[in-house]
Amino acid sequence: MRSKGTGFRAYTIAYLIFLYAPIVLLPIFAFNNSTIIAFPLAGFTTNWFRELATIPALHHAVWNSLVIAVSTSILSTCLGVFAARASTRYDFPGKGPIIGFIMLPLVLPEIIVAVSLLVVLLGIGIELSAWTVILGHVLICTPFSIAILNSAFQSLDKSLEEAAIDLGETRWSTFRLITFPLIMPGIISSLLISFTISLDEFIIAFFLTGTQPTLPVYIWSQLRFPTKLPSIMALGTILVALSITLLIIAEYFRRRGIARSGGQDAGGFL
Amino acid sequence: MKPIIQIRDVHKYYGDYHALRGINVDIGEGEFFSLLGPSGCGKTTLLRTIAGFEDLSQGTIHIDGRLMEGVPPNKRPTNMVFQSYAIFPHLTVAENVGFGLRRDPRTPAQKAAAVEEALEMVGLKGYGGRAAHALSGGQRQRVALARALILKPRVLLLDEPLSALDKKLREQMQSELRRLQRQVGITFILVTHDQEEALIMSDRIAVMFEGQIAQLAPPQELYRRPVTRQVAEFIGVMNFLPASVATVNGARIDVEVAGLGTVELAAEQCPGGARSGKGSVGFRPETLTILFEGETPRGRVAEGTVEEVTYYGDMTYYGVVPDGVDVPLTISMRNLVGRRVLERGERTRVAWDPAALVLFC
Amino acid sequence: MGATGANRGQPAIMDAKTRWGRFRRSEAASGLLLISPTALYALLMLAVPLAAILLYSVLTDGYLTVEWTPTLANYAEAWGDPLYRQVMLRSLFVSATVTLVTVLLAYPVAYYVSFHVSPSRKSLWLFLITIPFWTSYLIRVFLWKVILGFNGVVNSSLMTLGIIDEPLTFILYNVNAVVITLAHAYAPFAILPIFVALEKIDRSLLEASQDLGESRLLTFWRVTLPLSMPGVVAAVLIVFIPTIGDYVTPQLVGGPEGRMISNAIQLQYLRLDNYPLGSALAVSAMAIVTAVSLVFLFLNRRFLRVRQQ
Ligand SMILES: Nc1ncnc2c1ncn2[C@@H]1O[C@H](COP(=O)(O)OP(=O)(O)OP(=O)(O)O)[C@@H](O)[C@H]1O
Ligand SMILES: [Mg+2]
Repeated sequence: MRSKGTGFRAYTIAYLIFLYAPIVLLPIFAFNNSTIIAFPLAGFTTNWFRELATIPALHHAVWNSLVIAVSTSILSTCLGVFAARASTRYDFPGKGPIIGFIMLPLVLPEIIVAVSLLVVLLGIGIELSAWTVILGHVLICTPFSIAILNSAFQSLDKSLEEAAIDLGETRWSTFRLITFPLIMPGIISSLLISFTISLDEFIIAFFLTGTQPTLPVYIWSQLRFPTKLPSIMALGTILVALSITLLIIAEYFRRRGIARSGGQDAGGFL
Repeated sequence: MKPIIQIRDVHKYYGDYHALRGINVDIGEGEFFSLLGPSGCGKTTLLRTIAGFEDLSQGTIHIDGRLMEGVPPNKRPTNMVFQSYAIFPHLTVAENVGFGLRRDPRTPAQKAAAVEEALEMVGLKGYGGRAAHALSGGQRQRVALARALILKPRVLLLDEPLSALDKKLREQMQSELRRLQRQVGITFILVTHDQEEALIMSDRIAVMFEGQIAQLAPPQELYRRPVTRQVAEFIGVMNFLPASVATVNGARIDVEVAGLGTVELAAEQCPGGARSGKGSVGFRPETLTILFEGETPRGRVAEGTVEEVTYYGDMTYYGVVPDGVDVPLTISMRNLVGRRVLERGERTRVAWDPAALVLFC
Repeated sequence: MGATGANRGQPAIMDAKTRWGRFRRSEAASGLLLISPTALYALLMLAVPLAAILLYSVLTDGYLTVEWTPTLANYAEAWGDPLYRQVMLRSLFVSATVTLVTVLLAYPVAYYVSFHVSPSRKSLWLFLITIPFWTSYLIRVFLWKVILGFNGVVNSSLMTLGIIDEPLTFILYNVNAVVITLAHAYAPFAILPIFVALEKIDRSLLEASQDLGESRLLTFWRVTLPLSMPGVVAAVLIVFIPTIGDYVTPQLVGGPEGRMISNAIQLQYLRLDNYPLGSALAVSAMAIVTAVSLVFLFLNRRFLRVRQQ
């Protein structure tokens, strides 16, 4: 038993190294004093980070992405609350197919979502802008929000809400006083996850963004220029650090939510 | 008895499933009323229709003379203690207890006093500042009680409030609940599947099977005069012997009981109604007495063989097969000083009293 | 007479009213009402667009416009042109390979976390496994280009160590690079469903099997593996379906001979402005994905039924 366990453990650690290898390279080259991304390293510098501050196009892209990501996370979390509530509390005709369809973007290649939205938006004459990207991002983030909020609603004991109603509250005030505070951790992690996905999403933004690129679209446009690569590495380092921070916060809230409602930890984000 | 709740011809369907099948009952003001029955018989469903959490498929419920059709749970003069207690985990004990006072016109100081009073009533004085998720099972139960009672409902509904507690705490809470109910004088409706609990606590008990009330009676009557074999089997232990009813004439019924001979029963010994033909008689283990050497019988005597001996310390339960039948009868005997415990296979005499029999046709 | 008539009418109206009232308060109505914003959104932003590309795929491409003449010419081109056929087959091949590699490599990891990690540390391990997935996809793919490139990490390290004299060229700008990169990107997708399936297995079943005389290996083969198959099937689909439509990886590390179907679709839409042909390619890709998935599910129906018991 023991020896078998260690074999698996060694394999799993090797696998984790494979998973993390590219990400580890990121800061190495971001601080490397050379325009060529290759070994051997040429010394330490923070120039590439400083260079980021001097590119207006980058700043516009960051701002665009932030606006899109914030809007997306709020909208998809709202839609997620409705759907998760309906799927955990109510039985209604066509429940399975309806929810299955809403979750479909999880397994649909993103390029399909992108081109089909493009066709429709151009077809009805809507100009491409940050808003069209938001439309697409809400579509793909909502299933993630639903998955997170489903577990938040599931660990919420139904009789808590009934007790509040029994004690004289209305449905709405029950939601405000009981349900909402208790699913708050789920809502926060849904906001953070949607934000992260939207910030990182490339293809839909690539197709649906108009003249104002998002951050990934901007990065994509820079990958062609070898001289820009070190500063892209620096940018990547910042992004990775940011996503990991957001994830840790999201995980913290998810666990706190489970702990608070006294439930069992049922696993990760997916 | 002035009824506070009148339930008339109530039916409830879940899709095709017929969960309540014509419930009719009046529950009196200040009564401690229990709904007793096996799992899945519809007790919770009936309680929730009274509270307003379930719509009726048919029939009416009046509370305090008002028709409850369309009245939501928050507008009904009832409050509920949930099986899981449903203590709000993000609030303190005091906030939980004072939850229903939010719309109350009293000043905050008055409300705080009311909360403190309610906590004192359930024996949790000084616990107000505690976080609710850090309470023990018994304490949660008390918080749930205080939270409901502070609103002075006309009826308090309790769904198996004691089932999550261990045996000792459960017994303690049983007497405490009873005391509390006398103190506040509110009608309590208790759902339970524990027949002993129902017998101990209730003024009246409704025994339910498969969505119907099989018998509605005070504890003593329920125990001594069950109307059907099903009820008799559910409440305590009962022995049955096949019987045939020879004649029914007014107040007197002549019955031929297998192994015991002919007996004459009074009409009240047949609470389910009598007619001639095949049936069975039942009697409780404690109405039978084993006659030890030299004891003289009161009532009639049958002879039989001891087949089964179960020793409980204070009591011994015997399985005795009377001559002429092949069903063992359970007999409970107190282990008095100097009284020996019989061995398996011994012959013995059993005294029995026709007045203790119940006839089921 | 009139009065009685009116009275007689009353209960019917009341009845209809309460029935409507009951439906409105019923679970079904509340549930439908609650899900409707999200469902409506999915309808408008997913169902309608999917229908639209289905429609476009049978229209004729004009210069800068689309003509409303129904035709199957786009499909004829998408399926007939050897170029597209090759791209399609390559996409299938790459996806299938990636799926196979990813799931095979992922299974032991899921097995380790489920069977050998103490319950309190499981979510930490899962968290570690999922983190890379959430970091910028674009940059992760690009990093593989850096690792595998002509003077990239692998080549420069190997040359410094003196293992090779010339940079290896078979590792970038071809199908191999695409497979490695995608296998890396989709790893957590494969691990999680298998882990969930393994977690659901009642441990006493394994003890029962060993108690009945099976060795540990045979217990795995006869009990654990079949019971975890629903997770494996889910992992296969979750990896297979999106990888076939991946755009970034083939574009960045695939080179001309690593192009996949989404690159062709993108070309039609954004470069050549041929929406009908692009739509026909997209619909074909979806049809192939769906067909392969359904066949796969059908072949594994035996394992999936176990779960429902
Ligand atoms: N929401 C529901 N939908 C469908 N069937 C239900 C629903 N609620 C209860 N039932 C069914 O109605 C029957 C009665 O349920 P109820 O909860 O009233 O039983 P109970 O007597 O309280 O049992 P227990 O002692 O187990 O709590 C059960 O068979 C149950 O399956
Ligand atoms: Mg119940």
